[in-house]
Amino acid sequence: MLNNKLTSAALLACVVTLFSCTKEPLNNLTQEESRIYVTNADTTINFSAFKTYSISDSVVVLDNGQSYKDLQPSDQSYIDAVNKYMQERGYTKVTRSANPDIGIDVNRIYNTSTGYYSYDDYWDYYGGYWDPYYWGYGGYGYYVPTFFGIYQVTEGAMSVDMLDLKNASEKGKIEVIWNGLIRGEGIFNASIAEGSVKALFDQSTYLHSN
Amino acid sequence: MKALKSLLFAIFIFSAAQLHAQRGVVNMSLQYNYALPLGSFKTDVISKGSPRGFTGDILYGVSDKFSVGLGLGFQDFYEKYPRALYNTGDKEVTSAVLSNSVQIIPLLAKAEFSPLGSAAPVQPYITAGAGLGVSSFTQYLGEFGGTDNAGGLMLQGGAGIKVPFGKYSKAGFRLGANYNMVSYHHDGFSNFNNLSFQGGIYFPLK
Repeated sequence: MLNNKLTSAALLACVVTLFSCTKEPLNNLTQEESRIYVTNADTTINFSAFKTYSISDSVVVLDNGQSYKDLQPSDQSYIDAVNKYMQERGYTKVTRSANPDIGIDVNRIYNTSTGYYSYDDYWDYYGGYWDPYYWGYGGYGYYVPTFFGIYQVTEGAMSVDMLDLKNASEKGKIEVIWNGLIRGEGIFNASIAEGSVKALFDQSTYLHSN
Repeated sequence: MKALKSLLFAIFIFSAAQLHAQRGVVNMSLQYNYALPLGSFKTDVISKGSPRGFTGDILYGVSDKFSVGLGLGFQDFYEKYPRALYNTGDKEVTSAVLSNSVQIIPLLAKAEFSPLGSAAPVQPYITAGAGLGVSSFTQYLGEFGGTDNAGGLMLQGGAGIKVPFGKYSKAGFRLGANYNMVSYHHDGFSNFNNLSFQGGIYFPLK
């Protein structure tokens, strides 16, 4: 018969082994696997009705409730990648003063404080940092369809927004027609910008001008 | 459920006739488990088998053939699915690597019946258990997700063999399989049912 000490040791070993052998999901992800690519679109929109676009030449950094414009190498890589894939889909880049059909903003979002940053808040502040005057529609407000998702951004994200400038005068507002969001490890690295933007376009097959 | 009740009743009736045989022996068994998800658990959550599991039982010998006691255990299931598109909102599409992780801790009242008794060189047995299955379900899209913990009814039925180390040994090897019904009702999921294969040792505590 085994003595009590041996039994206790066996039980202890069992308990220790039991809790040490759990496979932790986050420890089994590569940086690439940690990233998610989220798109929202107004599917009532016929994207082939738009032919031209203009993209901002810098990004807005939204950092714990404060915003400012910036252009780091990674930001430029994101802007370049959006240009590349918009043109691959048949859209023509024009200057902001040439009445583009689509306006594109790129945003870098941080939140290092407690709590979370919701996408609702993001849009609440939107007009504050992308002034409608920027797109030549002073006095207009932005409109985000209610079906757009609400994200909890807890560490950082890159966001790309497409705005309907073609119909802004008729509708009396600048409507957001597409949004792409990139989250996860390493997203502020210039080397992953193109692949990330490609992922957003790959899952948005309806984005084409013809 | 009805079949399990019948089984438990049959075990109870049969064992009642054995009550005058050996009494009072408390046996402990420790087993390694390999578990296979079944049904919707397999199709909707985790399709892969889990090599990370253990069980331990402490059973009191009501007779030479019938024992009752407690069973504890742990099983860790995990699967990472390749990147795919998921509809995460009305008009929202998310491209992500999906990771599912499920841990199950059974806390069961158990009964074991060995028809050949403890003197046979190979002792087949059947077991039945009922109690609480504590489940922890973690789901990640990329590195974003969360965990839900829940406790629910767990039922277990099993069978196997015990082989004593020697002719007069009260300790030995143990091989068997258990069918585990683990209820988990949350977010459209209904259960974490699985089939576990186990091997280990048993020995008397007194």
